[in-house]
Amino acid sequence: MHIQRRRLAGEVVFALLLLASSLFLFWHSYKISGFSSYTSAGAYPMVTTAVMSISAIIILFQTLRIARVESAPGQSLLFQFYTQVTPTLIVVFALSIVGYMMLLEPLGFVISSYLFLVISMWLLGSRRLLINLLVSAAAIGFIYIVFQTIFSVAVPKGTLIQGLFK
Amino acid sequence: MNEALGYFLIAWMDPGLIGLIAAGTLAGIYIGAIPGLSVTMAVSILISFTFKWQVNEALALMCGIYLGGVYGGSRTAILLNIPGAPSAIATAFDGYPMAKRGEAGAAIGLTTIVSVIGGFIGIGALALAAPAMSDFALQFHSRDYLMLAIWGILLVGSLSGESLYKGIFAGALGVTIGTVGLDPLTAEPRLTFGSMQLSAGISYVAAMIGFFGVAEVLSQVHDIKLKAVRQDVSKILPSWGMVKKYLPLSMRTSGIGVVVGALPGAGGDIAALLAYDHAKRSVKNPSRPFGDGAYEGLVAPESANNAAVGGAHVPMLTLGIPGDAVTAVIIGALYIHGLNPGPMLMIQTPHLFWFLVGALCLANVFLLIFGLTGIRVFCKIMEIPKPILLPLILVLSTIGAYAINNNVVDVYWMLGFGVFGYFMKMYGFQVAPIILGIILGPLMDRSYRQAMISTEGDLLAYFASFFTSPISLTIVVAMALTLITQTPWWQNWRKAKTA
Repeated sequence: MHIQRRRLAGEVVFALLLLASSLFLFWHSYKISGFSSYTSAGAYPMVTTAVMSISAIIILFQTLRIARVESAPGQSLLFQFYTQVTPTLIVVFALSIVGYMMLLEPLGFVISSYLFLVISMWLLGSRRLLINLLVSAAAIGFIYIVFQTIFSVAVPKGTLIQGLFK
Repeated sequence: MNEALGYFLIAWMDPGLIGLIAAGTLAGIYIGAIPGLSVTMAVSILISFTFKWQVNEALALMCGIYLGGVYGGSRTAILLNIPGAPSAIATAFDGYPMAKRGEAGAAIGLTTIVSVIGGFIGIGALALAAPAMSDFALQFHSRDYLMLAIWGILLVGSLSGESLYKGIFAGALGVTIGTVGLDPLTAEPRLTFGSMQLSAGISYVAAMIGFFGVAEVLSQVHDIKLKAVRQDVSKILPSWGMVKKYLPLSMRTSGIGVVVGALPGAGGDIAALLAYDHAKRSVKNPSRPFGDGAYEGLVAPESANNAAVGGAHVPMLTLGIPGDAVTAVIIGALYIHGLNPGPMLMIQTPHLFWFLVGALCLANVFLLIFGLTGIRVFCKIMEIPKPILLPLILVLSTIGAYAINNNVVDVYWMLGFGVFGYFMKMYGFQVAPIILGIILGPLMDRSYRQAMISTEGDLLAYFASFFTSPISLTIVVAMALTLITQTPWWQNWRKAKTA
C-alpha cells in the first residue's frame, strides 16, 4: 500500500542521517573480521548493515522526489521543522520525560513519578490542578501496590531519599 | 487425545487463571479501544512485569489482552471514526456511518458476535493446523527458517508501510540491533564499540517498550486536543435472524483471517482490509452501499481480524516465527520464560500448546460477555482526556523498562528508542518490522551460519540449495512475489489492467 504524502521539514536530513549511521555501522561490522569467511562473527552484521545502507540510499532518493509541504514564504527550514515535527509541546513533554528518568534513581519511583505526572498533565493541557494532584496520587498508589504485590517488581527506592534518612 | 483435553482444560479449571484471562480480556478491550494505547504496547510492558510469574499465568493474561485488544479497536472505530488499533481501520469504513445514523449499539453488538465467531474459527484452525504444521516443520532446513524470517519481515514492512524500502530498512535495523553483543558462536564482540554494557546486548524489551510505548505517546501529543464524541449505544444485542444472515460471510472472511494471520509477518490489520475487499467484491446486494453503513462492511473485517489471532499463533508456535507484531512480543515473553518456540515446542511441551488453545477459547467466551455488557461504562472511560492518559502510559513504560534488570540504563535505552521511533513514525516508517527484526535476528543469524556451514562455505552451493528442495523453493517464490508486487512496474500494470 503506497500512500502519496508531502515531504516534511527535516525528512531529507533524517534520511541522510540514517544513511550515514548505516554506513558507519557497516564499517564497524567490516572491522570485526573483514571478508575472512562467510561464517565469521562479522559476516552477518555486514549483510544486515549493507541492507540498511542500500535501502537508506533508495529512501534518500525517494524522499528527494516527494513534493515538500507548502509553507508561508520566507519561513526557514528550521522553523518549519519546529512547527511540523517538533512543536513546543512535544519538546517540552520530551524534556520532562528526560528529567523524570534522571530523577528516577535519586528521588525514587514514588516521588519522581508523582512530580512527573502532575507537571506533565499540566503541560499537556489539563489545567485543573486539584484533579491532577488527586489523579496522580491515586495512580501512583495503585501502581505501587499492584507492582509490589501482584507483579513483585522492584521499583527504585531513591538513593537521595535513603541517604537523607540514614 | 485425553491428555490434550486435560491440558486444554487447565485454564478452565483454575480460578486464578480464569480470573487472569477475564481481567486480560476486559483490559484488552479497553486498551484496544483507547486510541494511543495498543495491544503491542500493553503486551510489551507486561513482559517485564510478568517474567517472575509462572508461564501459564503470564500467557493467560497476554492471551486475554491480545484477543480483547483486537476486538476493542473496533469500538472507537465505530463511535469516533478513530480505529483504536490498526486491525480496526476497515471497521471504521462502515461502522462510523452506522453510528452517525444512530445505530452505534447495533454495530457494536454485531461486531461482538462476529468477532467471537471469527475468534473461534481462528482457534479451531490453530488446534487443527498447528500439530500437523509442527510435524511438517521438522523437515525444514536452517535455510528455510532464514528465508521464512526474511519473508516475514518483508511482508510486515511492505504491506503496512508507505514504502517497501522503509520496511526493509526498519527490518534490517531491528536485526542489526539484535546482533549487538557477543557473537553466540565465537564470543567476539559485535558492534559494542568497546562498551562492557553493550557486550550483554541491547534489551529487546526496552526496545519494544520504546518503539511501541514512548514513540506512540509522543506521536499522540500531536492530536492531544481531539475530543471524544458521545453516541447512542442502546439496543446492543443483534437478532438471531441478523446473525444467521451474516454467518456465511463471517465464516468466509474468518477463513481469510486465518490464512493471512498465519502468514509470517501479516496480521489482523491486513486480514481485515483483505476481508473488507472480499466482501465488497462478493456481496452483490449489501444492506446499504459499502462505506455508507453496510452491515457486511462491519462483519467482514471484524470476523477476519479476530480469526487472524488464532492464525498468527500457528507460525509462532510451530516455527518460532511471529505472525504479527503482538506474537513477536509474545515470542519474546516465551524466551524470557526459558521456552523456545519452534517445532520442538509442540514435542517437548505439548501442555503449553493445548493450554494456550484452552486459554484463547476462554478469552473468546469472556469477549462475548464483556462485549455485550458494560457499554455505558466503556463510553465514560473513553472520555479520559489524553493529557491525563499519556503521562500515565509513560510512567508504566518507564517502570516496565526498569523492571527488566532493575537498571536505569534500560530506561535510557527505552527513551532513546522512543524518540528515534517518534521521528521514524513522523517520516513514514513502520516500527513493527524493527521489532520483528530484533526477535528474529538471532534465529536468522544461527540459520544463516548453519546453512553456510552445511555447504562448506561455498557461496554458489549455498544459493543453489534454495532451489533444491520444494519447501525452500516455495518460500523463495513467495518472497519473490512479495517483492515483485511492490514494484512500480507491477503496480502500473495492475492499474492499466483494472482501467
